[in-house]
Amino acid sequence: MRNKEDYHLEDPAWCRGCGLFGVFDALKRAAAAQDLDPEQTVVVTGIGCHGRLNNCFRAYGFHGLHGRVLPVATGVKLNNPGLLVVGVSGDGDAYSIGLGHFIHAVRRNVGIVYLVVDNRIYGLTQGQFSPTTEMGFVSISSPYGSKEFPIDGPRLALAAGGTFIARGFSGNVAHLAGLFEKAVKHRGFALIEALSPCVTHNKINTYEWFRKNIYLLEDDSGYHPGDKMEAWTRLQDSRRIPIGLIYQEQKPPFEELVLPDVHKPIAREGLGVDVPRLEKIMEKFR
Amino acid sequence: MANLKKGQPITDISVLIAGKAGDGVLFTGDVLAKILKRQGWEVVTCRDFPSNIRGEATSTVVRASLDRIYSWGDCIDVLLAFDCQAVFKNVQTIARGGVVFCDGEGIGAMPDPLKKGKTFHRFLLRQLAKEKFGQEVYKNMIALGALSYVLDLDTQIIQEIISEMFLKKKGQEIVDKNTQALMLGWAKAGEMIADSECHALDRTTDQGRIVLSGDEAIALGALAAGCRFFAAYPICPASEIWQWLAVYLPHFNGAVVQTEDELAAMNMAIGAAYAGARAMTSTSGPGASLMMEAFSLAGMAEVPVVVAHVQRVGPATGTPTKTEQSDITQWIYGSHGDFPRIVLAPGTVEECFEFTVKAFNLAERYQCPVILMTELDMGQNLRTAREFHFDKISIDRGRLLSQEELLGMDNFKRYEFAADGISPRALPGMKNGLHMVEGNEHNEKGYRDEDPEIRRRMMDKRMKKLQAASKNLIASRVWGDRKAKVGILGTGSTLGAIVEAQGQLARKGIPTKFLQLRTLWPFPVKETEAFLNSCRQVFVVENNFSGQLSRLVKSQVEGCPRFKNILKYSSLPFKPTDISRRIRRAPR
Repeated sequence: MRNKEDYHLEDPAWCRGCGLFGVFDALKRAAAAQDLDPEQTVVVTGIGCHGRLNNCFRAYGFHGLHGRVLPVATGVKLNNPGLLVVGVSGDGDAYSIGLGHFIHAVRRNVGIVYLVVDNRIYGLTQGQFSPTTEMGFVSISSPYGSKEFPIDGPRLALAAGGTFIARGFSGNVAHLAGLFEKAVKHRGFALIEALSPCVTHNKINTYEWFRKNIYLLEDDSGYHPGDKMEAWTRLQDSRRIPIGLIYQEQKPPFEELVLPDVHKPIAREGLGVDVPRLEKIMEKFR
Repeated sequence: MANLKKGQPITDISVLIAGKAGDGVLFTGDVLAKILKRQGWEVVTCRDFPSNIRGEATSTVVRASLDRIYSWGDCIDVLLAFDCQAVFKNVQTIARGGVVFCDGEGIGAMPDPLKKGKTFHRFLLRQLAKEKFGQEVYKNMIALGALSYVLDLDTQIIQEIISEMFLKKKGQEIVDKNTQALMLGWAKAGEMIADSECHALDRTTDQGRIVLSGDEAIALGALAAGCRFFAAYPICPASEIWQWLAVYLPHFNGAVVQTEDELAAMNMAIGAAYAGARAMTSTSGPGASLMMEAFSLAGMAEVPVVVAHVQRVGPATGTPTKTEQSDITQWIYGSHGDFPRIVLAPGTVEECFEFTVKAFNLAERYQCPVILMTELDMGQNLRTAREFHFDKISIDRGRLLSQEELLGMDNFKRYEFAADGISPRALPGMKNGLHMVEGNEHNEKGYRDEDPEIRRRMMDKRMKKLQAASKNLIASRVWGDRKAKVGILGTGSTLGAIVEAQGQLARKGIPTKFLQLRTLWPFPVKETEAFLNSCRQVFVVENNFSGQLSRLVKSQVEGCPRFKNILKYSSLPFKPTDISRRIRRAPR
């Protein structure tokens, strides 16, 4: 069995108190609890403070372009479905520049665990408002307050046919780790949005603010994550933010639909030239 | 151009089939091309169709020759039109002695100039099809029958092709109906035209040849090269590559994904290539603009990915169904930052196939993106080709480590400062190979690093790969008279018209030589310099407004002579005379 420290490559360089520490900790805990093999795990990250996760979490890592986590992760998963592919994005990465990819990855139900670390701000670029920032928020790019209505990732995922929609809080590491463990076992696309305070640029959505506004779905014995209408109702409630597994259903994952054989990874195919077969195909052009 | 002097055998002929989108013009042309090929002729088609599904003017030229040809020629000998608009539009290009069939209901006499040495026949194809077969669609087979009469085509071959097309999919009844329609067209044409109007073609043997489009050749090349993952977004004129692969890849344990946009297509192909697959995407101008971002990532992260770019008329949406060469420099200078890239430009169908195989080997060997640049003219038109030799293909995966090699290593560094810049490569999932693949500047292990010295060395390492690659690229090819003092520069599908223009010029006593640039980047400086130095006068032929190839050459070659640009940006491919006339009239 591996322990938490087996996944710790180096200490991260985030601002003191950053929510990403909680996310990192939850990832390590879940990985240890599931005894994940780092060599069978690929973490694909986007651009933003979360992107440094690759530098500290021990696994294969791919740090690409802003907003393009999901197409890269999809490419990896389809070509080697045996790997655990984890995508990590921020709210700007996932819901702004990468929003198109987000909806389509959800819709395809490709077998990726997608962790969106939502701090409701662009941190790395020094504090512009993001698509999840509340209206009226004063930032360097909205000195007179943001004039835009925010969007909600889990709601979008539910509308797009998502099969695993969860939300956690980086201030509750054990709970977030639990969601991650569940997501790893899910067949298909698993979204975990981690609410995660930016201690430097977002003085509104602090740990305290989140604690005041969230509630655990698990505390509500009447809540079943299989009930889509109820999930929608909970997500619509603007006064209280539900934390936990919001919705789950079973649908065939994309890789099982699109690949001839999920147990024969394309990435490991020998590339022998099958001359007779190719010649037969060429006959069509005679 | 047909030589219709009485008593002389025909060695070259062009047939124009014209109508409206939805008339089945392209289908009829493609079948005619196949018939001619099986009768032993070399064939080139040239589609001229709108970005429209039904209603607008569409035509296709089917040119055949007993000589090797690559272009659509200069004029039309036989015109078969499903409406009169096409006749008026094309009247100037019809050669003396030409025959015109027109399904023009409600039109009076044709204008006089048309009659000069040309004959005109009203052929009510639609009406006939509806009367005899109850469906207008049979007009295409009736038309083919009529053409077969005029050209004295081998009906045995046509019936074979009809069976191949319809027997499996639609059954014997449809085969019979099509055969009847064909024979009806044949008989009707026989009643209409005099023997003197027939353009009877010889029959020779058809051996070791195929007829296909550049897009199909690229797709087959990809399949043969071991490409097993393809991600793309629909775009004219590149979609055929992917549609063809969508049929075959699943039978080779491969997969095709239709992505949400070209940003995703390129990134997904990069993810696939990183995972270890031979991966590819295809696109045209607007899609390429979206791919530029990830192109840079492939360069920085050193991911071997292949892109086929089939150019169309730009800018913006341009004319999606017409040909141009206005994206020549897009992948050479495009995207942000400096990174190594290789751009290949096939000029024949055979080269589309061979260069695609080569592209995958180069991409893995030099761990960089490789681009295949073609044009709509090459991508969508059919051309006869020598059959492909799959047994000659070798797969070169470069410095991709095996699991055994990786296990034997103490300290695997994905971006090791190797002497030739080419570092060892491991795949995710391998044991003892944990590493980062980074789009940020990084150290040898792949981790983000902003140290100026590391940055400098890493930049040198990546760019050095091009020096190594330049020894292993596809050399330019010289066509024509090597001693000639008149030089022509060109790339891609203009080859056909250039080579024929050279023939026309040679017959007028002007010997020329043509340098076909087959690798556009890294630019073949030495070959080009040697060629230019041996010429007294140089013409650069390209299908664009600004002379992109000309500017590229000037930017790479010292002491470049003055070029005369022969440009065409009307959205049509060059005709041989477009080129030969300009060269003939130029002061020497």
